[in-house]
Amino acid sequence: MMLKRSTNSGYWWFLLPGLILFVMVIAIPFLMNIGTSFTTWQGVGTPKWAGLDNYARLFRDSTFWASFRNNLAMLIAMTIVPTLLGLLLAAVLYDYIGNKFGSGTASFFRAAFYLPQILPVAIAGVVWAWILHPNYGALNGFLETLGLENLTRNWLGNRQTALPSVMMIMVWFQLGYPLVIFMAGLQRIDPEIYEAAVLDGASWFDRFRFITVHLIRPEIFVVLLTTTIASLKVFGQIYVLTRGGPGNATLVPSYFAYQNFFEKANVGYGAAIATVMTLIIIVLTIIFIRRQSAEEL
Amino acid sequence: MSTSKSTFRLSFILVLVLLTSILAACGSETATTAPSGSTTSNEPRTIKLWHYEGANSAMGIAWAESIKQFQASHPGVTIQFEEKGFEQIRQTAGMVLNSDETPDILEYNKGNATAGLLSTQGLLTDLSEVATQRGWDKLLSSSLQTTARYDEKGVMGAGKWFGVPNYAEYVMVYYNKDMFAKANLQVPTTLAEFEAVMDAFVQQGVTPLSVGAAEYPAQQIFYELVLSQADREFVNAFQLYQGDVDFRGPEFTYGAEKMAEWVSKGYISKDATGIKAEDMGVAFTNGTFPIMISGSWWYGRFTDEIKGFEWGTFLFPGNKLHPGSSGNIWAVPTNAKNKDLVYDFIDITMSQDIQTLLGNSGGVPVNADVSKITNEKNKELIQNFDAISKADGLAFYPDWPAPGFYDVLVANVQELIDGTKTPSEMLDAIAIPYQENRATLGK
Repeated sequence: MMLKRSTNSGYWWFLLPGLILFVMVIAIPFLMNIGTSFTTWQGVGTPKWAGLDNYARLFRDSTFWASFRNNLAMLIAMTIVPTLLGLLLAAVLYDYIGNKFGSGTASFFRAAFYLPQILPVAIAGVVWAWILHPNYGALNGFLETLGLENLTRNWLGNRQTALPSVMMIMVWFQLGYPLVIFMAGLQRIDPEIYEAAVLDGASWFDRFRFITVHLIRPEIFVVLLTTTIASLKVFGQIYVLTRGGPGNATLVPSYFAYQNFFEKANVGYGAAIATVMTLIIIVLTIIFIRRQSAEEL
Repeated sequence: MSTSKSTFRLSFILVLVLLTSILAACGSETATTAPSGSTTSNEPRTIKLWHYEGANSAMGIAWAESIKQFQASHPGVTIQFEEKGFEQIRQTAGMVLNSDETPDILEYNKGNATAGLLSTQGLLTDLSEVATQRGWDKLLSSSLQTTARYDEKGVMGAGKWFGVPNYAEYVMVYYNKDMFAKANLQVPTTLAEFEAVMDAFVQQGVTPLSVGAAEYPAQQIFYELVLSQADREFVNAFQLYQGDVDFRGPEFTYGAEKMAEWVSKGYISKDATGIKAEDMGVAFTNGTFPIMISGSWWYGRFTDEIKGFEWGTFLFPGNKLHPGSSGNIWAVPTNAKNKDLVYDFIDITMSQDIQTLLGNSGGVPVNADVSKITNEKNKELIQNFDAISKADGLAFYPDWPAPGFYDVLVANVQELIDGTKTPSEMLDAIAIPYQENRATLGK
């Protein structure tokens, strides 16, 4: 037992660089951010102690709650829909396309779905802003060509369509990530399990539900955790596409914090928003990891 | 002691040492180089200069020539120019100017929320004495000096000089002469005539105004309409906090209701909420819209880029007050090391030959020899500005009074255009952050 413990302790040296980086890049800035959130500060000069004022203001601020509601929409667009759709597409590509047209075709589709993930956010955002442009956008042009002028919209500039449009774009951004993870997960499932199920008369949907989903549960947890975190801190796409507008229709907390940090010289309040969002992310992460650990036991 | 314990302790000590070093490094930040005036040494010196004007813009051209002239008249001094982005300087100026990496001179955005804020933190040099000594105060009219001077609370218009503007800008109406001629329309001189012109275009199925409401342009139209009912007292109350501001008063109410009416009459498309400033300019350049209301910063570019039709400008019909001000300012950080030299540089940028070059390149100079402005269009641009300036007609920009007011206006004017908010709801929404900032400043 003693021997095992001393052997394991040797790993400390390998953890050290990560620990130092964590302290420098995460822990210290986070603690400083918490400290700043108890002050009023314009970004220069001396911060003034404000106690819990920024937090009290945050909970009264209808703009923050509006941004938070939009964040729930982002959760649907970046976590729930891509995970469900990714699961289904991964199964179809692996089971059907892969078997019928060969693994090369399945890989082609996998790469195509993954492409948005490797595009810089700014470029993808500018391209989508062009596609959805009310005057010369490709989507409206396409609808007009089909004689569907009634369906043309000011997609990103109209309060009713802005958030759904951004959600649709986020699904496009995110879909490739769960798909790739799930396809990798599917490859480690023993084919004999499927063969046995087929012999037992299980349909494709039964196999999907009782074998695929069940056996790639660890991957599903990872995807849910990482995409939830991504949706809570989404910033780049909103910045490029709508800057939170029209009105506050697509405002999200991270962009709201950015506005307070850099546009409104309201650094203390921005820090309070960032702190609350970080705490939410930490709590969700702990819940996910505990749940996953419980499942593994 | 087990190996694991000793390893843990060693790691802990290492992390502690590292943290101490980081904190020590952070602490040393305040020990910056003391500001210095002139040095007597004959050693070669280098001035660090930052600005964010494009190389082919009027200011970029004029300042490149200023650098050349400065180096010719100051042998042994090198100007190390670093081109920065507007956003880059705006978002990091506070941190940079508080460090020992500060430039000797930089172009900076004017207004309470920017230069005013930094002046209150002691990060900008008080230029009052130099401005008098070098005669800059004589070259700039009182309305142009508004953005140079800030009081102890950082509110512009009075107090010490913390910047020197050497060009100007204002909002005007750009119009497509060919489209006007084809529709047999004349340049309007009153707001009623302007509306009649726009009605005529609507009847032909043409949306008259190219508007970008996703960024600044729409709020400037709203402000033009507010100014149509305003006087200098109102502007000073709103911008300089020299009186009470009633957002439900006649000026703002007229502006918001008229703007909503312009949307309902089809002068402004509801689609404008999704259009950025760049797209607005491109749509006008392409001849899609006959009219665009925006600033003089488009002028040089339109001169270059509009090839397919004749275009011209006129001041917003009927208005005595117009959105506009000095251009951005030259600011000298408190920690600058070569202040004596940068004052010489500012002198050169204010000289008549550089100012004339700026005017001939499509900018609005503040000290040009107008007889040497060769381009007729540029002459018209400068004469219009002179007319506004002489009539004390510069009303600044609507987003200036409070930090973050820009975003408030963008969001609320968007909601006014798409009908989400009524004019009175919109006015109530923009009043709150304005009054909050005013209360914070104790004004």
